[in-house]
Amino acid sequence: MKNMRDVWSSRFMHYISEVQKYMQFIFTGHIAIVLVFLVGAGGYQYSEWLKIVETDFPAEGLIALIIGILLAFSRPTTLLREPDQVYLLPLESKMSQYFKKALAWTFWSQVWIVAIVYIVCIPLIKAVTELTTLNIWSIFFIVIALKFVSVQGEFSYRYSERGHYVWVDRLVRAIVCGVTVYMGLQMQLLLALVVAVIGYVYVWVFRKKCANEPVPYEHFVKLEQNRMMSFYRFANYFTDVPHLHGSIRRRAWLDWFYQFIPYQKGNAQKYLVFRTFIRTDDHFYLWLRLTVISAVIAAFVNTPLVTWSVAGALSFATTIQLKQALIASGEFRMDMLYPLPENARKVAVQQLVRLTMIAQAVIVGLCGVTQPMFYVTPIIIFVVSELTAKMSKS
Amino acid sequence: MSVLEVQHVTGGYTKKPVIKDLSFTIGKGELVGLIGLNGAGKSTTIKHIIGTMLPKEGDIRLNGVTLKENTDKYRTAFSYIPETPVLYDELTLREHLALTAMAYGIDEATLAARSEQLLKEFRMEKRLNWFPSHFSKGMRQKVMIMCAFLVNPSLYIIDEPFVGLDPLGIQSLLDQMDTKKKEGASILMSTHILSTAEKHCDRIILLHEGRVRAQGTMADLRKAFAMPHATLDDLYIAMTKERDHEEHA
Repeated sequence: MKNMRDVWSSRFMHYISEVQKYMQFIFTGHIAIVLVFLVGAGGYQYSEWLKIVETDFPAEGLIALIIGILLAFSRPTTLLREPDQVYLLPLESKMSQYFKKALAWTFWSQVWIVAIVYIVCIPLIKAVTELTTLNIWSIFFIVIALKFVSVQGEFSYRYSERGHYVWVDRLVRAIVCGVTVYMGLQMQLLLALVVAVIGYVYVWVFRKKCANEPVPYEHFVKLEQNRMMSFYRFANYFTDVPHLHGSIRRRAWLDWFYQFIPYQKGNAQKYLVFRTFIRTDDHFYLWLRLTVISAVIAAFVNTPLVTWSVAGALSFATTIQLKQALIASGEFRMDMLYPLPENARKVAVQQLVRLTMIAQAVIVGLCGVTQPMFYVTPIIIFVVSELTAKMSKS
Repeated sequence: MSVLEVQHVTGGYTKKPVIKDLSFTIGKGELVGLIGLNGAGKSTTIKHIIGTMLPKEGDIRLNGVTLKENTDKYRTAFSYIPETPVLYDELTLREHLALTAMAYGIDEATLAARSEQLLKEFRMEKRLNWFPSHFSKGMRQKVMIMCAFLVNPSLYIIDEPFVGLDPLGIQSLLDQMDTKKKEGASILMSTHILSTAEKHCDRIILLHEGRVRAQGTMADLRKAFAMPHATLDDLYIAMTKERDHEEHA
C-alpha cells in the first residue's frame, strides 16, 4: 500500500463488490416489482391529496421535522475492520487522509435520501406556501450543506466521545437542522443563518476535540460490523448469506413446545433437532417466511387454482429446504458419537418437518377461510410435503 | 482384559496413510499419554478410536467389540473431549448436559446428581442457562469436560485437555481423572504439556511419523533411550533429534 488513499480504495472496491453481489438477488426478485407498485400507488395518492390540501396545512413544520430527523442520522461509513486495530496502529497520524475519503463516501452515499425527500416535498411547498422557485431551490442547497456538516458532525462526535450518548448529539443536530430548515421555509433567512452558524460551531467544537484523541478503532469497527450485519440480515430474506450462519435466538415464548419431548433415550435426537429448528434463525425464518407468503396468497387471492399451486410449490420448497438443512452432516457434531440408532437423526428430522408442515397447512387454511374451497389448500400442503419428504434423498 | 486394543491399525485421509501399523492397549484403570509432534498422527489415531474414521487395516476393540460388531456397546464404552470444543450454539449449558445424559440412557435422578457435582467442581453453577456464544474458550472446554464425565464410561479419550483452561480448571480436571481412575476407568490423553504427562500418566506412547516410536512407563522409556535420568521433555527432544540425524544422514 502506497498510502492511506490506496488502503481506502481497495477497501471500497471490496465493499462495493460485496454489496453488488447481494443487491443482484434483492432486485432481481419479486421485491423490485412490489417496490414499483408501492411507489406508483404512493405517488398517485400523494398527487390526489395535493389537489385538496388546505393552505393552512402545517407543511413547513412537518417538512422541517422530517428533514431534521433524516439529517440527524448521518452514521459514518468507515469500512474499518477488526485487524485494523493492530495493523493500522503505526499509521495513526496518517489516518486523517483515510477518514477524509470515508466521509466523502458517507456524504455521497447518504445525501440522495434527504435530497429525494425534499424534492418530493416541493409540490407540497408550492401548494401551501408562497415561496418562489428560487427560494425553494436555495433551501434545497441549504439542506445539502446541512447534510455535509451533519456527516462531519456525527463523525467528530463519535470520534471524540467513542460513540457514548450519540443520541444526545443526534438530538442536538436534529433540532439545529430542523430549525434552520423551518426558518428557511418561513423566509427568515437571517435567523436560519444564525442557527446554522450555531450548528457549525457545535460541530467545530467536537472537531477540535478529536485532534488530541487516538482513533477509536473499537467503536468504528463495531459500527461497521453492525451495519454490515443489518445489510446481510436484510439480504438474507432474498438469498442465502453465508456470513449469517448460526445466528441464534432463544425464542423463549416457544419453550412450552419442548415439553412434548419427554426425557428418554429414544428422544435424544428429537430433543436436539426441535431446539435447533426453533432457535436457529436460518431454519425458523425459512419456515416463517414461506408460511407467511402462502398464507397471504390464500387470504387475498380468490382464484383457487392460483392459491393451490402457490401453496403446493411453497410446501415443496419448505419441506425440502428444512429437511436438507437439518440432516446435513458436514461438520463434526458430538451427537455423531452418541450410542443411538444410525437413523435416529433422520427420524427426528422427519417428525419435525411433518409437524411444522401441519402447522403451515393449518395457518394457511385458516387464513383462507373466506375464499371458495379453502379446505383443499391444507390438504395439498400436507400431501405435497409428505411426498417430498418421502421421495427426496436423505 | 484390556479396555482398548489397537491392533496393527493403518489409516488416514487419502491413499497415503497417516498412521502406520499402530498397536497398543490400555488396561483397566490406566492413564495413558499419547505424545508426539504436530502431525505425528495423534489426532488421526483418536479419530480412528472414536469411529469417525475407519481403519484401512487392523482392528480397534473397545471392551472386546469393534464398532461394526456392536455399535451400541462400542459407543457407550467411551466419552470424548475434543481439542477444540464442539458445542451446539442453540443449546444452553443445562441442555448440553441433558442431551448427553439422554443419549447415553442416564436417568434423570442420576443426571441431576452428577451434574450438580460437576457444575460445582468446575464452578459453572451460575451459567446453566447460558448459550455457548457467551462462554470463553475455557468455559467451552469445561462444558465438554462435564458432558464427558457425566457419562461415566469405561474409557475417556481426551485430546489436548489443558489448553485454554485456567489453573483451577486444570486442577479440577486432574482431580476428576484421578477419581475416575480409582473407580476403574481408563484414560487416553494426548497432550503437549509433557511435565503434566510425566507426572500423571501410568504409561506413555511416543508417536512419531505415524508409528509408535516407544511405549511404556517412564522407566521403560529411559531405558529405551539409554538416558537414565531424563525427563519426558529430554526424551521427546532426543527422539526428534534422532530422527533429524537419520534424515540428514
